[in-house]
Amino acid sequence: MDPKVAKLKEKPKPFLFPEFCKGCGRCIGSCRFGCITEGTEINPETGLIPVVLDLEKCSGCGLCASACPEPFGLFMRVVDVEEIAKEDLEGVHTFQEMVELFDKADFELTDPSELFGPRETEAPEPEPIPDQWIPFSHDEPLVLKGNYASAVGAILAGCRHVYGYPITPSTEGAELMAKLQPLMDGVFFQAVSEVATVNMMYGTGGAGLPCMTFTSSPGFSLMLEGISYMVGAELPAVFVNIMRGGPGLGNIGPEQADLKLACRGLGHGNSHAIVITPSTPQEMLDLTMLAFELAFKYRNPVIILGDGYLGQMTGRVNLPDKMKKPGIPEWAVYGDLSHRRNLICSIALSEADLERHNIHLNAKYAEMAANEQRADLFHTDDADVLVVAATTPARMAKGAVQELRNQGIKAGLFRPITVWPFPVDLLKPLLEGARRIVMVEASNGQLEDELRLALSKEGVHPPPIQHVRHFGGVLPQQEEIVEAVRKGEEAAK
Amino acid sequence: MSVSAFYQRFERHAKGLGIKGHSTHYCPGCGHGLVHKYLGESIDELGVQDRTIAVSPVGCSVFLYYYMDVGNTQSAHGRAPVVALGHKLANPESVVISYQGDGDLASIGLAETFHAAQVGMPITVIFINNAIYGMTGGQMAPTTLLGQETATTPRGRDRTAGLPMRMAELIAQLDGPVYVERVALFGAKQREKAKKAIKKAVRLQVENKGYSFVEVLSECPTHLKMTPPEAEEWVKENMVPIFPLGVMKDVSDSITSEMEFKPFTPSFEVEKVRDLILEGAEEKVPRHAAAFPEHIAKEDVSLKLAGAGGDGAQTAALLLTRMAINEGLDSTHIPSYGPESRGGTSYADVHIARQEVLSPASPQPNILVAFNAPSLVKFGPNVAPDGIIIYDSSVIADPPSINGNVKMYGVPFTEIAVKIGRRVIKNVVALGALQAVTELFPEETFLEAIRQALAAKCAMIPMNEEAFRWGRKAVLEGMED
Ligand code: SF4
Ligand code: SF4
Ligand code: SF4
Repeated sequence: MDPKVAKLKEKPKPFLFPEFCKGCGRCIGSCRFGCITEGTEINPETGLIPVVLDLEKCSGCGLCASACPEPFGLFMRVVDVEEIAKEDLEGVHTFQEMVELFDKADFELTDPSELFGPRETEAPEPEPIPDQWIPFSHDEPLVLKGNYASAVGAILAGCRHVYGYPITPSTEGAELMAKLQPLMDGVFFQAVSEVATVNMMYGTGGAGLPCMTFTSSPGFSLMLEGISYMVGAELPAVFVNIMRGGPGLGNIGPEQADLKLACRGLGHGNSHAIVITPSTPQEMLDLTMLAFELAFKYRNPVIILGDGYLGQMTGRVNLPDKMKKPGIPEWAVYGDLSHRRNLICSIALSEADLERHNIHLNAKYAEMAANEQRADLFHTDDADVLVVAATTPARMAKGAVQELRNQGIKAGLFRPITVWPFPVDLLKPLLEGARRIVMVEASNGQLEDELRLALSKEGVHPPPIQHVRHFGGVLPQQEEIVEAVRKGEEAAK
Repeated sequence: MSVSAFYQRFERHAKGLGIKGHSTHYCPGCGHGLVHKYLGESIDELGVQDRTIAVSPVGCSVFLYYYMDVGNTQSAHGRAPVVALGHKLANPESVVISYQGDGDLASIGLAETFHAAQVGMPITVIFINNAIYGMTGGQMAPTTLLGQETATTPRGRDRTAGLPMRMAELIAQLDGPVYVERVALFGAKQREKAKKAIKKAVRLQVENKGYSFVEVLSECPTHLKMTPPEAEEWVKENMVPIFPLGVMKDVSDSITSEMEFKPFTPSFEVEKVRDLILEGAEEKVPRHAAAFPEHIAKEDVSLKLAGAGGDGAQTAALLLTRMAINEGLDSTHIPSYGPESRGGTSYADVHIARQEVLSPASPQPNILVAFNAPSLVKFGPNVAPDGIIIYDSSVIADPPSINGNVKMYGVPFTEIAVKIGRRVIKNVVALGALQAVTELFPEETFLEAIRQALAAKCAMIPMNEEAFRWGRKAVLEGMED
């Protein structure tokens, strides 16, 4: 390093700290005057051979600096070094020495990289902009489809960013959003695929704003990769999956066969999300609002599982008494000064860091499991038989339970509102009285798997479990549930 | 030169300790570092550091966020441009850079790449084309040259492995982008052009002009197994003939202020939100029914309306649900959906409950309204004992006999509708007939719901009311016969 450059005040001259030179040689060819030559000495700190500068003939053209790929490599010195005694500079050969020199000279440099010029602004410690709840009043119930009710819930939860790719039977939600969002200067954007959808949500969720999508089973499959990234990067978002018949293209009838994906298969890695299963249009609204709350509370996606029937079902829906104007959380990458420090990412190179991150995520999952179990209980207090069902089949089951009660059979309905975490704390006390469980599902026992796993983790052995199962768009009907329960009762006698 | 857009210390690079706090993770002579510098300088010179968001890809530049002192988002492989759109739509004032390599942009992320380009929203895409996969260890890239040896084309890329993708040309073909240029990093002149192009691409975003794309022919000396100066030469000699340099598209000057992207701020005005949600459904509808129609069922009346697609069964069913809810009852409607409902059978299940609809399906309805013969044949036998069937006698000449004490009423829905002047109105005729036969709700309840549903198409109300009255009349007169 030749500190002679310091003498030349008129024109900036290149400067290089050898430890930041990788010896790539790109600068050598850029100098017409041959000021830069290959080095011969290995730098002890880097193990690389930095170039050598001889600036006798240097014109200060700067071409060498713009050929150097290193941000702290060759640069055109802009610091006015007149204040520093020339002889002091003579001995300076490394970055560290420069720092020490400046320290000695009581120079107002707290960070050596200020050598490279003044900084425009300093990013402050990010601060959250809080959410605001605004009173909202409307007394008359609305007549809404499940999908619409969910969209309305999202709007009232402050969601102004909706992304999606059309897929039956979830499209009404998207269509209503396409109609309403632009009128509120919000965004409905039809993405090129479900893969693009989830990644747009990654961007908007990363900016700290509430966003959502309406999709259905095959589309949800495609989103799983992105959901894993969102879980890893701790981003909030709400996914409404109106489940249809599968596997493969299947059909557009109602099924419940994505429970395993939502509860156990959210992409790669140790991922989990709260999974909510509404069963009425009213719940589609209320629980969509709740989903946004939980997504931000835990900085994690939330999955709402409905079925084709529920999405299409029209019913009575009462509006809440408040709506939200969302703020911006302190962690967001919003694209402004106060959030400039932030980073959204799911990468952690070192094993120790990634393990720590996973431990942190698992602690969140444990918190969700402890606080967010929800279920609806109907005639369960003295039930001998517990019928367990979610989404639309739970309504057939409710009808069946009522009918069974009318017939004098002590049946009760246990309806999980969250299937992950499974509401095992609410189920356990009921098993003291119940002799049997009848699982009513539109899948091959995916809800039963959650129930069994949850009980097993609690060390509770379940009573005998009977099932009423249908597939492919066929839903269990009230009469066959009644029949199944009666048969079970007779067999038990 | 100022490097405000770089962190003062690369805290995220090995915790910023030692040399790593001020040097990149890139191999010596890698083109990425140069492009980072030009991008950083552009951000500084345009004064947009505070509102810039850099979206980094998967590839060697995955760690862009180690260096740029801006908002940073690291995205999944290939998805950077749509992540960028997600950011731009969240904050239209932000300046979003999607920085991607060739595997990311030209292979796994092609759909996102093209879509974002064609959407044309102002984001800046920087595409590093070095003809090879760097991070995974020198495999073939979509831009690998024919004959070029890589870890997955050990005998050189041949045609069976595909031909190199010319992304700048492809992107320039689209109508969305305003500016597309291909630049290179060999020699001072090319580097100067590269810097200018990158700055322009960011500036056009800052000015809300639109989407810009800069492809940079870059050097990966490591996997080319060359010194950096040799790699520069290789790019010049081998890549430029396949990937010619220059501006591929620039319509930035013809973007008028109307065509510019307009930043927006979502509204949270409570009045506006309420009006939009209610969509005119707000006016209170008076109740007319004295009680729950328990002459049909004690707690829960179930109905099925069935016909062919286009018969209006769903609309009629929805009206029934609306009426019930207007009357303070609970109600549900579920349509049968599916390809078979398009032109085939379309049926709707409706429940009307005093307290709460439990099961919303109607496998054994109290009331069946059949618009065609197949529906009557299919659902007629399932009607509950003492139930009611109303069918369109214009199209069902020979109704099958149904057991179980079910009462059947034939009303010529279609004939009446045609007489009134519109065939499609037969579902309202059916509702009139339904009201007269069942007295589910008072006449006024039906009419109120019809008016409410047609609030936006007032001109249609009189004809619908007429259809309803004719439907009633047909039943009442038939009863007198
Ligand atoms: S500034 Fe110009 S003349 Fe001076 S060393 Fe660099 S390239 Fe050579
Ligand atoms: S270009 Fe930069 S890193 Fe490469 S040899 Fe020159 S000074 Fe060193
Ligand atoms: S592998 Fe190639 S592209 Fe990656 S850092 Fe090294 S030189 Fe650059």
